[in-house]
Amino acid sequence: MEVKKIIPPILILALFLGGWHIGALIYDMAFLLPTPYAVLQIFIQDFNIIMIGLKQTFQAAFTGYIIATVLGIAVATIMSLSKILERSLYPYAILLQTVPVVAVAPLIVLWFGFEIKSIIIISIIIALFPIINNTLLGLKSTPKTLVELFDYHKASRVTSFFKLRFPSAIPNIIAGMKISAGLSVIGAIVGEFIIGSGSEQGGLGVQIIYAQANLETSLVMALILTATGLGFAFFMTIQTIGWYLMRKWHESEMKAS
Amino acid sequence: MIRVSKVTKHFDEVQALAEVNLDIATGEFISIVGPSGCGKSTLLRIIADLVSTNGTIEKPNKGAFVFQDSALLPWRTVQGNVELLMELEGTENKRAKASVALRQVGLNGFERSYPHQLSGGMKMRLSLARSLVLDPEYILLDEPLSAVDELTREVLQEELYEMWSRDKFTAILVTHNIAEAVYLSNRVVVMSPRPGKITDVVNIGSSLGFKKRTPEIRTTPQFSKVVNEIAGKLRTWK
Repeated sequence: MEVKKIIPPILILALFLGGWHIGALIYDMAFLLPTPYAVLQIFIQDFNIIMIGLKQTFQAAFTGYIIATVLGIAVATIMSLSKILERSLYPYAILLQTVPVVAVAPLIVLWFGFEIKSIIIISIIIALFPIINNTLLGLKSTPKTLVELFDYHKASRVTSFFKLRFPSAIPNIIAGMKISAGLSVIGAIVGEFIIGSGSEQGGLGVQIIYAQANLETSLVMALILTATGLGFAFFMTIQTIGWYLMRKWHESEMKAS
Repeated sequence: MIRVSKVTKHFDEVQALAEVNLDIATGEFISIVGPSGCGKSTLLRIIADLVSTNGTIEKPNKGAFVFQDSALLPWRTVQGNVELLMELEGTENKRAKASVALRQVGLNGFERSYPHQLSGGMKMRLSLARSLVLDPEYILLDEPLSAVDELTREVLQEELYEMWSRDKFTAILVTHNIAEAVYLSNRVVVMSPRPGKITDVVNIGSSLGFKKRTPEIRTTPQFSKVVNEIAGKLRTWK
């Protein structure tokens, strides 16, 4: 990557960390607002336990994300098959988005138990809608003349789907997956909050609740940053996959030459 | 032979086509001209069986449809695009046929390029190549040259004429460009505004007096005369 491209975001990060550091020194209440350096120190000191949490949260979020992606594409495909199916199912897809997941989470834990299963389900619920919505949009906006071309040659629905509609929807599917990348991590953290304070060796969400109860603000912040990094890594992975798939043909990924 | 009999079309309350009857001989090149919205594209889609009608269409089995915007798959290479219709039709020997077709339109060497890397003229050549490779008995062309610049347009008209002379398919071309219709066609069909119906059929071969079309005929008085005659027929509705 060109140096020019990474300078602006690095500069913003430096400004942010500098502002935070000075702010923390002026405010002078380390137990409420530690300096970035203190957060880093805690991160290094508790590195092993944070990694245990990261691994658990990653497992739940990643599993949820993969299931949400597969399920979302499947549901959108079913909806795209007919207007009636779309009209019947879409309102419930919207409900999936409007239901306050934080409020429903305790119910899910009641039903599925205090285990990773519940966390995964919460992660799926929160990550599903953007994938359904974007995939459906993509499957429905195949260019008209291409649809006519396939119709003229009497291509079967299966052929049209795999050779035309699905590849044509890839940019939208990737866009949905980018939104859901961060959401799946949020879902996992919410799930861990609800499952809660059983042990200080749980996922990142569990550890946050634990550290908060102990007023370990630096640790809370280190854990938040770790969770943020996890979501960011998900996003960048999808960004890279999207770039790889579309680099040769889609406007969004082609370099202006 | 393509036979269009008693074809009518309504879109809800709007009558798009009054009764249309038209016989096109095997190997003939027909152009359809008419004001915007006269239903000439609809007529072409009815012949293609993309739009339903109460009338009847008789046509050979093997055909191709060429669209205004080339209708290429942006995620496929030139090679992948020229093989697309062969895949849909289950044609064998795709690779060899594709290679011949690409050479015919001067796109050999571009096999691994993507459509966005091609000029408008090259895209249309690719679109024509992928249709010709099916060895069709007839080709339906929906304003195929309207998206390219004027110079390229005339070159492509000449290439299209060569393809038709060589492969002897029946062609129906919908166009806004009267000179294009005159240059390419045996007959030009003139349609009226909505509800579209055929008001005139101009036999170009006899009015022009040239058997073979070459770029030079564009500047002859006979050519201008036929173009103006058809333009005059279209102007009566404005």
